[in-house]
Amino acid sequence: MVFGSILLIAVCGGSGLWLAARIRRRPEELRQCLTALSLLDTEIRWGATPLPEACTMLQERMDQPWDGFFAELGTLLRQGQAARTAWEETIRRQRPAFCLRPDDWKVIGDVGKGLGRSDREEQHKQLQLIQHQLEAVRTQAAVWAEKQAKMWSYLGFLLGCAGVIFFI
Amino acid sequence: MPLRYNLLVRNKEITSLLGADRETNRFPEWEKFVTWLGDPVAKIVAQQNVLLPEEIEEIRLRIGQPLLLVSSRAEVFLGAEGSARGPAEAYRIRAEDLAASLERITQSSLYAAEEKLRQGFVTLPGGHRVGVVGQAVVNQGRIQTLKHVTALNFRLAHDIRGRGKNVLPYLLLSDGTFAHTLLLSPPRSGKTTLLRELIRLLSNGLPDLPLPGCTVGVVDERGELAAMWLGQPAFDLGLRTDILDGCPKAEGINMLIRSMGPQVIATDELGQPADVTAVREALRAGVKVLSTAHAAGAEDARERPILRQLLGEGIFQRLVVLSRRRGPGTIEGIIDPRNGQVLYREEGRAWSSAASS
Repeated sequence: MVFGSILLIAVCGGSGLWLAARIRRRPEELRQCLTALSLLDTEIRWGATPLPEACTMLQERMDQPWDGFFAELGTLLRQGQAARTAWEETIRRQRPAFCLRPDDWKVIGDVGKGLGRSDREEQHKQLQLIQHQLEAVRTQAAVWAEKQAKMWSYLGFLLGCAGVIFFI
Repeated sequence: MPLRYNLLVRNKEITSLLGADRETNRFPEWEKFVTWLGDPVAKIVAQQNVLLPEEIEEIRLRIGQPLLLVSSRAEVFLGAEGSARGPAEAYRIRAEDLAASLERITQSSLYAAEEKLRQGFVTLPGGHRVGVVGQAVVNQGRIQTLKHVTALNFRLAHDIRGRGKNVLPYLLLSDGTFAHTLLLSPPRSGKTTLLRELIRLLSNGLPDLPLPGCTVGVVDERGELAAMWLGQPAFDLGLRTDILDGCPKAEGINMLIRSMGPQVIATDELGQPADVTAVREALRAGVKVLSTAHAAGAEDARERPILRQLLGEGIFQRLVVLSRRRGPGTIEGIIDPRNGQVLYREEGRAWSSAASS
């Protein structure tokens, strides 16, 4: 009985902590995305670096899971896919590796719409616009994540305790 | 330091491209190359067996027009299943085909190809070039870029070797030094290919002559000679060659002289007023010049303002005239423009124009 109660509290508490950790990763992943877009913007604007080459650079510079995202994107581009479809396909394949929400992906998905299809200045403007939008999303996500993560850290254990009381 | 050779060999017979010593690559990367065309054109061209890949010179995609393959012996319209068809039944190129191909050749990075598009062509790995035409966007009198692309011309580069060895002995002066040389021909007659081979031979040296290798500086303004792709030259230009890619000739020649100490400077397609100054600059520095120009022969060259100036000043000591008479790269003759002496002439053609110059 005692062992079962401890186990239930541990499992629920652990799940709560795991969920809280995932929630905390969201703003961090958005921050990394902003860094990646800023680097991509620099490579396009100042280096006129072709996208496959820029992806290799981003793959080396970014941490998980964005390194995998750009590795996949670079591979698809080198295989001859158009930037837009390659970006969409990469999002589809890489999504499970991230903790981002559908609204975040909507903004990130917009990057692919005009990627590589205009001159450097135009690319810069588009990337900047998306960076501004993403920055707003990240700020909101940071506040939201702080509250949610705190809640789930406690809620897991509390649910565990409630379960124990219920069974007793 | 001038070039010096111990022995002059001038009795070798020059054979044309169609001769027995023709060495062509069998185009091993053909399957990879066709992917640049984008689907479905890539599939159609990959399926065709009318022309051998190594004999195809151009693949032309014009909006609303039939898909066309061009070789030195034939022009073939292709049907949707890859067989030869009449113009009416051939596969018609659509705007989407051009967009797919353009996206492919620019690696989905139109901004990175801006400068190339401004010049009207994009270079692919392997040295193949894609000519692009469409609507020019002009800003303050300068072409900014091209939009609404209406035609693409894939010009296939074939690394043909063998002629340079025969031509080179004629390009040596009596004191054994390499002569200032200009290769003349109409477009698509193989002058860039010959120039590339001469650069490689001068750079590596030729033990048969014997010719010691020398430092060659290449100003590859149009990205055609070395065909750089991501910083790697697609063509082998020799062991002692320094390549300045995408740089205007005038600045490039000065940069090379200051930085790399070349003995020979090679550049493609003289024809701008600034080129005359650049060539003079190289002469002042004691560097030998090897270049090409568009002209049907010596006489034709003298009618062109820039070339007339260069030839009038006696800068060039050898003119190599090429044509497509017996296939691309037929060497019609080699002359010394200072005294009009014909050093070599292709049999079976009157050579009055060269001799008279």
